[in-house]
Amino acid sequence: MNSSLDSTDTGQTPLHLTPGHWLWRSTTRHWSLLINKRSIVVNATLTLILLACALSSLALGTLSITIPDVILALQGKGTTMHTFVLEELRGPRLLAGALAGASFALAGCLMQTLARNRLATPGIIGIDNAATAFAVASVVGVGISAAPHTMALVGAAVATALAFGLAGATGTRGYRFIIAGLAIGAVSGAITQVMLSSVALDDANAAYPWTVGSLNARAPAAVNALIIGLIVGYTLSLFLNRALATLQLPEPVTASLGTRSGRVRVAGLILSVLLTGLAVSVAGPVGLIALLGPELARTISRPGSIPLTASALSGAILMVLSDLAGRLVFSPLEIPVGIIAALAGSPYLLWILLHKSPDINR
Amino acid sequence: MKTYRNYVATWVMLFLACLASLLFGAGTLELGQAFAVLTGQGTEDARFVVMELRLPRLVIGMATGLALGVAGALLQTLTRNPLAEPGLLGVSAGSAFAVSLAILLGASTATLTTLISQVGALAGCGLVVAATRIQGAGQDPVRLVLAGATLTGLLLSLSSLLMLIDQRAADEIRFWITGSLAGKRWDQLTATMPSLLLAGAIVVGVARPLASLALGEKVAMGLGHKPGLIRLMVIVAVALLVGGATALAGPLVFVGLVVPFVARSLAGADIRKTLWLCLPIGPAMIIAADTLSRLLVTPSEMPLGVITAVIGAPVLMVIIRARRIPAL
Amino acid sequence: MNQFMTMSKINSPRAPLAAQSLMMSHGPHTIIPHLDIELRTGEVTAIVGPNGCGKSTLLNGLARIHKPRQGTIVLDGADIHTLPARDVARKLALLPQDNSAPEGLTVTDLIRFGRHPHQSWLSQWSEDDERAVRKALRAADVGDLANRPLDTLSGGQRQRAWIAMSIAQETQLLLLDEPTSALDLGHQIEVFELIRALASQGKTIAMVVHDLVSACRYADHIIAMCHGEIVTEGTPSKVITTNLIAELYGVACDLMHDPVSGSPILVNIRRVHPAKPAEIT
Repeated sequence: MNSSLDSTDTGQTPLHLTPGHWLWRSTTRHWSLLINKRSIVVNATLTLILLACALSSLALGTLSITIPDVILALQGKGTTMHTFVLEELRGPRLLAGALAGASFALAGCLMQTLARNRLATPGIIGIDNAATAFAVASVVGVGISAAPHTMALVGAAVATALAFGLAGATGTRGYRFIIAGLAIGAVSGAITQVMLSSVALDDANAAYPWTVGSLNARAPAAVNALIIGLIVGYTLSLFLNRALATLQLPEPVTASLGTRSGRVRVAGLILSVLLTGLAVSVAGPVGLIALLGPELARTISRPGSIPLTASALSGAILMVLSDLAGRLVFSPLEIPVGIIAALAGSPYLLWILLHKSPDINR
Repeated sequence: MKTYRNYVATWVMLFLACLASLLFGAGTLELGQAFAVLTGQGTEDARFVVMELRLPRLVIGMATGLALGVAGALLQTLTRNPLAEPGLLGVSAGSAFAVSLAILLGASTATLTTLISQVGALAGCGLVVAATRIQGAGQDPVRLVLAGATLTGLLLSLSSLLMLIDQRAADEIRFWITGSLAGKRWDQLTATMPSLLLAGAIVVGVARPLASLALGEKVAMGLGHKPGLIRLMVIVAVALLVGGATALAGPLVFVGLVVPFVARSLAGADIRKTLWLCLPIGPAMIIAADTLSRLLVTPSEMPLGVITAVIGAPVLMVIIRARRIPAL
Repeated sequence: MNQFMTMSKINSPRAPLAAQSLMMSHGPHTIIPHLDIELRTGEVTAIVGPNGCGKSTLLNGLARIHKPRQGTIVLDGADIHTLPARDVARKLALLPQDNSAPEGLTVTDLIRFGRHPHQSWLSQWSEDDERAVRKALRAADVGDLANRPLDTLSGGQRQRAWIAMSIAQETQLLLLDEPTSALDLGHQIEVFELIRALASQGKTIAMVVHDLVSACRYADHIIAMCHGEIVTEGTPSKVITTNLIAELYGVACDLMHDPVSGSPILVNIRRVHPAKPAEIT
């Protein structure tokens, strides 16, 4: 063994060290890029699926429009009726749903990775509920009259800060953090109920679907804020990706590899809170998307990688599909997307809780 | 000596809470008038408010608190999990969903509601105990609580679905589902009483064997008990208690956590002593919370479930921070 | 404390890593009250001592994982806590105990993580990276396992893969926390021989070891710790005495010398105060 350390590479067939990657190296500068083939394939497939879901979502509803007609209308050659339905009703709704789903799932993926726990998603630790409570407060006019999406962000930040404060610290497994979040979520949910029960019944009925998660009540300002937030959050999270990857290894190894895990955690947490708050202000607390999106992405991605893009795409797909199902199943009655997501996602979450290890690596 | 003092203190607290509940509240009744009724005088109107509005509410509150407190203590001992709480683990949600379904289908008599609620609780309870027997996950209190929260979320979503389908039922369900003692009448209590008494009888019988089961299944068998039977009896008792309480007051979260927690910190680990202390503490908590719910936002009322959540969430944190729960 | 004095005192060229007046605590508990240590270039230092004596805490402190309550740790003449994390990671690698990796990760995937401190967004896989990983694969003798997922390997193979990751980090210093715990005898020897080979390449290695015999056999220098303090240090044959063993572990024994290597061997190990038959009945 001693001698083999010194010997030069004399192997017959040189071992390929980066299987499943495309390598590009610059000859003049010391630049090199390593691109994961599987992630390209996965993301391309997910994008195609998302497009298909989006088209279906545009075409189907109380007024069915054929796919060719949808495409004609999108090109500006459709009938007035079709153009109206697509541009005024379904198009914005689709956009809001896809963006919110992507934000939820991206936030979930970040938080799972930095907590090293697949249960640590914003919904489970009560950020959704707190953001909802704050947003409802601004809707029913309790306290400051800031815009709902601003209030949702404030709520998300307050909940996270509280969870940290109550739990003492994150800890590596983050279990205390989860329970603190659970308590905060319960209190926030209760406060939302109080506010809804203290306003006129009609207002409460109008706000109700949104408090369980719905794309009906989206405000254009909130959607605009979400677009900007998602672009910024996604870009910044890509910069974190390399450091996040090392977080999969045991904590001392992460540190030994030169990752400032404390800083990375704080940065990831801030992004996660930002994305969740903005998504809640558009779609209400559809927290399970933040669990299901990354789970789906992880199962189809290469082991050991952090599937940020795939999570966002999966979240968007799940959200669009849930909304579509909610509109179609009991048509003309519309089921809020949050209920559909909970009905579809809860059994899966239960299964994870009772049968799988919460450790993200398993 | 210390235990004796604790008993006296908790019973005094209960008495004070009851007094406050009868004296304070919405409506135009003056404090003096209410007091006069209690001493056997007072106007006809005052008598009506106190005796027909506040007294049933007080008694129903006591029954609810008693049932939830005892159920929490039983479930925690059975699952050996200090966080096992009927509300948190989804047992209350199970019975709430069953009742929502019943309201939607047109059930209105109190007896039927109670029965359906208890069937729902039994199903929820069975699920919880089945989950605790899964290797790994069942021994992990936090995962169990998360599973309960998920189950609650799922059932709430199903209830929401029902509410969307039927607007008439929706108003009734929505009022009931946050948990409240407002507008309760005597007949609701009489409908629930038999099953609560039955549960009480079971608890009396099962307390001693349960105390030895807490030492471990093998120990209990060695002492001549049948663990399977004990478990079944406890599940039935918890289902009767939680189902009854939910039928009375709606799904209340955290009561079953706070009451046994306080009782245990006063009495120690013995389930029998804890149960005795739950008798005054459970009603005292509900009645105090209910009185608060009337006073905080007069003239309207805050849902009782909100108050219990606000009291209970910090207690949950205290438990998590203070105890070294396994796998934490 | 006069920091300048401290720095100049231990800033000797032969110590790539040194700690002065180190105090480490875990919450309110002080694990290491006061400790000075220097590692010697190109030598294998074994840290031995009973359970809970602060060996792992010391290693984590030296590797900058936990911040000491007091004292300075000097890496190549600079206070380790003033250096950027990345620079430290290029000079010092730590391999903790009981490592777990994401499911499905292959040996090469894991070893590539070792190149993390040498990479950046614009340099994701340089020729240096490739050379270092190849070298690590060969050094740890895991070339045949390169594309196997970690979860399919035996304990010894997996530990060699983790060590290969640390080798790929191409650091002068290597700190190993019980590198052979939970390995059977054959795998232990594999790992220890690998460590010796690395030292002969000029790496400075410190390892926490439970087994005294292996520590004597494979280390150049032994540091014996008890209650967070260094009891004694030196070459194995000088340090290991029956008195020391009694002090550290509370057992009596006799010492022999390995006829082949000459390193000390413990025989006839027994409790210092053997229980009298009367006490048992």
